[in-house]
Amino acid sequence: MNDQRKFKPSLILVHALLIILVVINLFPLYWMMTFSLKDNDEIFGGYLKDSEGKVILDENGEKITVERNMIGLPRTWRWNNYPRALNTGNMGRYFLNSLIVSASAIIITLIAAFMATYAMTRLVWKGRKLMNKFFMLGLTIPIHAALVPVFMILSRMKLLDTYVALIIPYAAFSLSMGILISIGFMGDIPYDLDEAAFLDGCGVWGIFFRVIVPLMMPATATVGIYAFLQCWNELLFATIFVSKGMYMTLPVGVQQLFGQYTTDWGPIGAALAIATIPTMIVYALLSKRIQAGFIAGAVKG
Amino acid sequence: MKKLVALLLAAIMVFSVTSVFAEEQKTITMWCIATESDANRPAYEKAIAAVEDAFNVKIEWEAFENQSYKTKIKTAMSDPSTLPDIFFTWAGAFCGDFAEQGNVYCLNDAYKAYADQLPEVMMQNASYGENKDHFAVPLTMNIVVMFANMDLLAKAGWDHVPETYEDLIKCCDDLLAAGITPFGCAGSETWCVTEYLEPIIEKTIGYEALNNIFAGKATWNDPAIAGAVDAFQEMVKKGYFAADGLTLGNDQIKANFLAGQYAFYQNGSWNCGEVNDAEGNFQVALFPVMNAEKATYSQVIGGPSDSLAVAATSKDPEFAAKIAFELGKEICHYGYLAGSGLPAWTPDYDTSEVKPLVTAVADMVAAADGMVLFGDTAMSADPANIYLNFVSQVYGVEIDGAQFIEGLAAQLQ
Amino acid sequence: MKRTFSYKLSIFIFLLPALILFLGILIAPIVMSVIYSLNDFKAISGADMNFVGLKNYIELFSPQLVNEKGALYTNVNYMGDALVNSLILGFFSVFIQLPIALSIALKLSKGIRGERAYLSIFFMPVLISTVIIGRLWMNIYETNGLLNSALDALGIKNQVFSWISARITSTKMPFQGGWTGYKETALFAAFIPILWQYVGYHMLLMYAGIKGVPMDLLEAAQLDGCTEGQVNRHIVIPYIKPILKVCVIFAVTGSLKSFDLIYTLMKDTRRAELPSTLMYKLTFLNNRYGLGSAIAVVLIILCFAFAMLISLAFRDKGEKVS
Repeated sequence: MNDQRKFKPSLILVHALLIILVVINLFPLYWMMTFSLKDNDEIFGGYLKDSEGKVILDENGEKITVERNMIGLPRTWRWNNYPRALNTGNMGRYFLNSLIVSASAIIITLIAAFMATYAMTRLVWKGRKLMNKFFMLGLTIPIHAALVPVFMILSRMKLLDTYVALIIPYAAFSLSMGILISIGFMGDIPYDLDEAAFLDGCGVWGIFFRVIVPLMMPATATVGIYAFLQCWNELLFATIFVSKGMYMTLPVGVQQLFGQYTTDWGPIGAALAIATIPTMIVYALLSKRIQAGFIAGAVKG
Repeated sequence: MKKLVALLLAAIMVFSVTSVFAEEQKTITMWCIATESDANRPAYEKAIAAVEDAFNVKIEWEAFENQSYKTKIKTAMSDPSTLPDIFFTWAGAFCGDFAEQGNVYCLNDAYKAYADQLPEVMMQNASYGENKDHFAVPLTMNIVVMFANMDLLAKAGWDHVPETYEDLIKCCDDLLAAGITPFGCAGSETWCVTEYLEPIIEKTIGYEALNNIFAGKATWNDPAIAGAVDAFQEMVKKGYFAADGLTLGNDQIKANFLAGQYAFYQNGSWNCGEVNDAEGNFQVALFPVMNAEKATYSQVIGGPSDSLAVAATSKDPEFAAKIAFELGKEICHYGYLAGSGLPAWTPDYDTSEVKPLVTAVADMVAAADGMVLFGDTAMSADPANIYLNFVSQVYGVEIDGAQFIEGLAAQLQ
Repeated sequence: MKRTFSYKLSIFIFLLPALILFLGILIAPIVMSVIYSLNDFKAISGADMNFVGLKNYIELFSPQLVNEKGALYTNVNYMGDALVNSLILGFFSVFIQLPIALSIALKLSKGIRGERAYLSIFFMPVLISTVIIGRLWMNIYETNGLLNSALDALGIKNQVFSWISARITSTKMPFQGGWTGYKETALFAAFIPILWQYVGYHMLLMYAGIKGVPMDLLEAAQLDGCTEGQVNRHIVIPYIKPILKVCVIFAVTGSLKSFDLIYTLMKDTRRAELPSTLMYKLTFLNNRYGLGSAIAVVLIILCFAFAMLISLAFRDKGEKVS
């Protein structure tokens, strides 16, 4: 655009503002990383200690004072905060559990959403509009409001303390969003394709599996991201529906870890970092696709 | 509508077909709150190992964080089949609600074998109904004590813990003058505030009156209580309590006290072991008398509360009850030696290793004139939490003594 | 296509998985909640349930109650304050968070240098677990945490504290740095992390909408001599109204629903009580299952009502772009 020159002086201002926002955005995370590598004496000021927490004395037998260092880089990099945080809980296991639960919930959401969307947009029947509105009710239901009844239902079915106890509710609460997005994507698939497939002798099932599902692949990423945001961070259901350590998810595990190091900022920071870093790495690698998927959801939904 | 019902039925069928049934093992399952940070953790570990060896049983146990455990155990009561064989509970109304629902196995028969080691008075806080049937095995018992950092007191010119209220106020003023914060109290955890407020009220109106109020037999609307609350708030307003106390949790406050930031820390005697082992010179005392006509120094707040109960749905409740008693005995044993509580069970082991602070508290209990169970344990869930709500407003100086008694009297009758 | 029996059966089977999930996990609980809310019981199994009609709802919405002796007293289970708090949170979200998100989105979508990097960074907090954000901000707000240290370093700590103390009415205690410990500051303290986490979420939604504005529309406007501000006001914003609608609905219902952050940020949620935290307390601490269910029902109705109202508000003014 040739009139971009007109905006030039203000452009510097815009960048300055954006960079301030970037700093605000990143600073808490930077700060988390720094205090995950310090001990309390360095954060608040105190006496120099070794990795076991014993006071180190200088040659005169005096304690060595450590200056307060709240936001700077660590002077002594205390990497052993990380094994301390890792050893108390079973972070690896919690991570795997979160992965299993979220992935399964996403897959179930996808299957249910695609099938229902197909029935409501491609098949002709009375009440399909109404059915669609009915599903959209789910967008506004607060997940916590369903806690006690869902617990009752799961316990009657003997599903508590299994992965299923979390997978099914998570899938159910992601479903409405999944359908909303799927409708947007499926609307873009030309009806001619259905008719061509029909003339080739495909039934409703044939059309669904041979035409619709392959063309809906881009929607999987988008539905997946929205469902992931819902499942990955959920705390309350995960606390109550699962009591065995082997099924606990990351938010519950992290919460327990906080209970163990309430006053030691180092291991707390390490636990926070351990729970955050893998997500950040995945995000760094896939940020373009994650954003594209998220954006697609905004446009289609 | 019929279609909806049909769909729901279909849904339930699909779920139940796919559900996974865990295979029953010949083991005892247990839930407790002894997480790795809990002072009682080592006692649990040792006790479980000992009982597993002695009775050839596998104890599968899970420990939960205190606050989420309350939610968890209550939710589990909606379907007793989800309960483990043995579960941790607080005595008083907390366990009473479960017993009333018929979810707790009655321990009267199992108790007979242990009656000579466990005095019946220790079972009382978890005994309900007309016959005072027993429903839980106590582990340790605890009272509220005032821990004092003698090094800090010395800096303010005090060589002993003040024993009268006037002395305490004088001591606090001296501490403030010396630049030392007298008290630490965790305002974000209301039970910590009750550890201060309840002894003050008890030392004003006497233990019998407070017991009656907690039991719902007497009204909160007593001007003497308002006076006690005002006295407590006076101490808060004078700056006797650490300024950051309002938002800190108990772990942080305790750590600060052990690091020498406050002169006094009033909390449960389960902290004795930890305080005893910390660097410094610490003593235990009780809160002084506020009204000598009604109360004496030796009246205390506390009693046996931490307990193990057996689920009525346990496959083999008799065996589970036996294991619960054995576990209770051993946890009490190791907890006492570690200083995380006083014994509810009569010790039959060498107690010469017991820590001096614990012995001091044991002497206080032995000499106690009267005892009042912690208010939030004594009252059932709804009144207890209304009570805690008011206590929390007291510490924040959001209401005064008159509003406290009027509000509670109207709400709890 | 023929409407044979097998066709109808197919429709049913296609809908079945979604219907099972939806009816079993969402609709059935709502029905159960409505039934619970009309009863009083303290055993979660409902063994001691007795029907009390609308009594629970009346209790929730009465700031004061009368006891058996006829004395008036303050109702600690009153839901009004919690509702007001969540509406304040919703108001902040709509009138602070969304404008910030919109202005960033407008700037970034103009093809500024480093657009992608900015987008990625602003969106990142959305992916971090709320439990973690709550704990992190707890450390920021602690009495000797980051915020107070920063105020101290700037040399304005005492001025800020006394300024706040002068404006605190809920307690006679002066403000001493406990940001989550005073009614006047706790809610705001909770809003900041929410703002920090979700600005990127709304920003990306709006960015997507703006990128969808047809190029020829923009170019035509610029040829007519419209300034950037005019283009934004008259073309871009009307065009992305459907997305703005979604953002407003999410911001408002999200505020009504929010729970995790306050729950992890504060041990005692009383000073920034929200309907969801009150519901949690009444249900799991006070064992008032009927009363807790009544909050759940009120929340569901409110979320639904707000979603409808916002949709209506947007439909009246804007042209239909869907």
